[in-house]
Amino acid sequence: MPGFWRRNRHWLTPALFLAPGLILFSLVILAASVETVWISLHEWDGIGAKTWVGLANYAELADDPQFYVSLKNNVIWLLIFMLAPPIGLALALIVNQQIGGMRILKSLFFVPLVLATVTVGVVFGWVYDPTYGLLQLIFGLFGGTAPALLSDENFATFAVAAAALWPQIAFCMVLFLAGLNNLNEDLIGAGRVDGARGWRMLRHVVLPQLSQVGFIAIAVTVIGALRSFDMVAVMTTGGPYGSSTVLAYQMYEESIFSYRFGYGAAIATVLFVIMISFIAWYLHGLIKAERSNA
Amino acid sequence: MSSVELRKVDKHYAGYHALKAIDLTIEKGEFVVMVGPSGCGKSTLLKTIAGLETINSGQVVINGRDVTKEEPGDRGIAMVFQSYALYPHMTVAENMGFGLRMANRPKAEIDAAVKRAAQILRLEEQLDKRPKQLSGGQRQRVAIGRAITRSPEVFLFDEPLSNLDAALRTQMRVELSGLHAQLGSTMVYVTHDQIEAMTMADRIVVLNKGRVEQVGSPLELYANPANIFVAGFLGAPRMNFIEAQIETVNAAGVTLTATGIPALAFGGIDAGGVSPGDAVTVGIRPEHLRVLERANPGQASFPGQVRLVEHLGRETVLYLDASPLQATNSDSGTGNFTVQLNKVSPINIGAQLTAGFETADAYLFGPDGRTLTPRKPVPAT
Repeated sequence: MPGFWRRNRHWLTPALFLAPGLILFSLVILAASVETVWISLHEWDGIGAKTWVGLANYAELADDPQFYVSLKNNVIWLLIFMLAPPIGLALALIVNQQIGGMRILKSLFFVPLVLATVTVGVVFGWVYDPTYGLLQLIFGLFGGTAPALLSDENFATFAVAAAALWPQIAFCMVLFLAGLNNLNEDLIGAGRVDGARGWRMLRHVVLPQLSQVGFIAIAVTVIGALRSFDMVAVMTTGGPYGSSTVLAYQMYEESIFSYRFGYGAAIATVLFVIMISFIAWYLHGLIKAERSNA
Repeated sequence: MSSVELRKVDKHYAGYHALKAIDLTIEKGEFVVMVGPSGCGKSTLLKTIAGLETINSGQVVINGRDVTKEEPGDRGIAMVFQSYALYPHMTVAENMGFGLRMANRPKAEIDAAVKRAAQILRLEEQLDKRPKQLSGGQRQRVAIGRAITRSPEVFLFDEPLSNLDAALRTQMRVELSGLHAQLGSTMVYVTHDQIEAMTMADRIVVLNKGRVEQVGSPLELYANPANIFVAGFLGAPRMNFIEAQIETVNAAGVTLTATGIPALAFGGIDAGGVSPGDAVTVGIRPEHLRVLERANPGQASFPGQVRLVEHLGRETVLYLDASPLQATNSDSGTGNFTVQLNKVSPINIGAQLTAGFETADAYLFGPDGRTLTPRKPVPAT
């Protein structure tokens, strides 16, 4: 079939290269998403027959106080995570200085990126431990007693999100470091000749060049806050009394532990809608930025 | 008072001696062009004046003030970069006014300065555009405008025209010369293009391997290169070089021999500098080589075959294979001689002819590369 191949390879070659990714994506992402929406319209224990219930799962969700706790916690995560881009930028600016020993410091800041999120969760679980944790040691120095953060329903979410913030800051720092390495040296030179220095150099010459990277950092951080799951699972399993659960974790709990796959799927669908609207905004911004740079 | 003065400026990069004890004085209002091959240190030297590069030792003095340790913004200079280096997120007007804004000048003053610069550079229509909406030539003007608004003591240009196409480059060259005449400011201009150097400069500084080879007016450098490097660097097509050996030295001058050419006699050579047996180089510019009807006993001449003819309209360039006589270090990378005739010539490839020159037009370079022949008259301008 060499003739057939030669005639058609202009479209066959890209098609073959795209096929594995497309098949995998349609199966694992697209089909699964559609099926999730389908399941959310049923009552299903995950094993037996599905019973059509229409929008009943969503109606129940709208009246479920636990759902609003999760939603509120996701918002708290989002707000806390929004600290990551500015802190990451500040750290990147600091470790980017040409000072002896800065390389070692820089590599230390990379550490949380190498650790699995679950590991970070476990380590922070120990830090927060009210009897022998690092926090207690610090409080002990001043003669106080550390609060049991993870078993206090007012603090649990903040404590978990703060722990998750650590690797997120490191991630943002790496993004900004890459951006700083790509700064146009002539532009910095022009800024210096124009007499810009310190804060004004940063504000007028450096930051505008980092706007693309900053946009990516914020977007990745928002998505990270919305899909938070593993830290909650490891540190509190949503407790105490479901006070630190987030949407992703509540979905998991309803489906796997309560055998309510239909209800879990409804939560997943709501989370999906939140995410997709954010991603639409993100892509819109990205396309706009690309157009203005063209 | 001099405008810029460099005193024993030395610069090392890790293990690399970029600038070697550079001494240079630039007068007020002068247009000085620094030329040299890539890696000669010309851009580094310019950035040293700007303060964008620090130096290891020596002094940079601008308008009588030692600015060696000062920030670029405090030196009273403005710089135009090869890449233009316009702030992409600012409009043309904001770009041009940025320096004054950083100096905390009142808004009315900034607007007036921007307007004046825009008028000089014909940018009034572009003030609200972003750099990416402009053509290459317009961007270059904005970069110059940004320099003008700061009314600096010294303008620094780092190969500003090298990103433009040939037609625009000629136009900008003329405009820059006009701008210099209009502003009367000191300008230091770096280029690797010798046409820019010859046409724009009051004085040319030829740099090589981090050292100043020679400083002088364009025609002075062309007529009286101090050494073989300057002789070879200035002039297109390039000077022809012949390797030769000193035969005799006496009060009248020297005679020398080279394979493939009768003995040559040079008068007025300082006999103390050379001795018989020394390896020297003869240099002869392409326009000083002539096509002879027949070999003249009194004149230096050699036969050869035409390998290539370039008809440039006004002039004709011949590449002449004169084996066994070889031209060394030539533009074409061959042993061929370059002959430039200031007319259209019917000579074709393959033609056999005799080329000759007056030794009075030729140069003799010693074993160390220094020029041995006496000064030649410089055409008055």
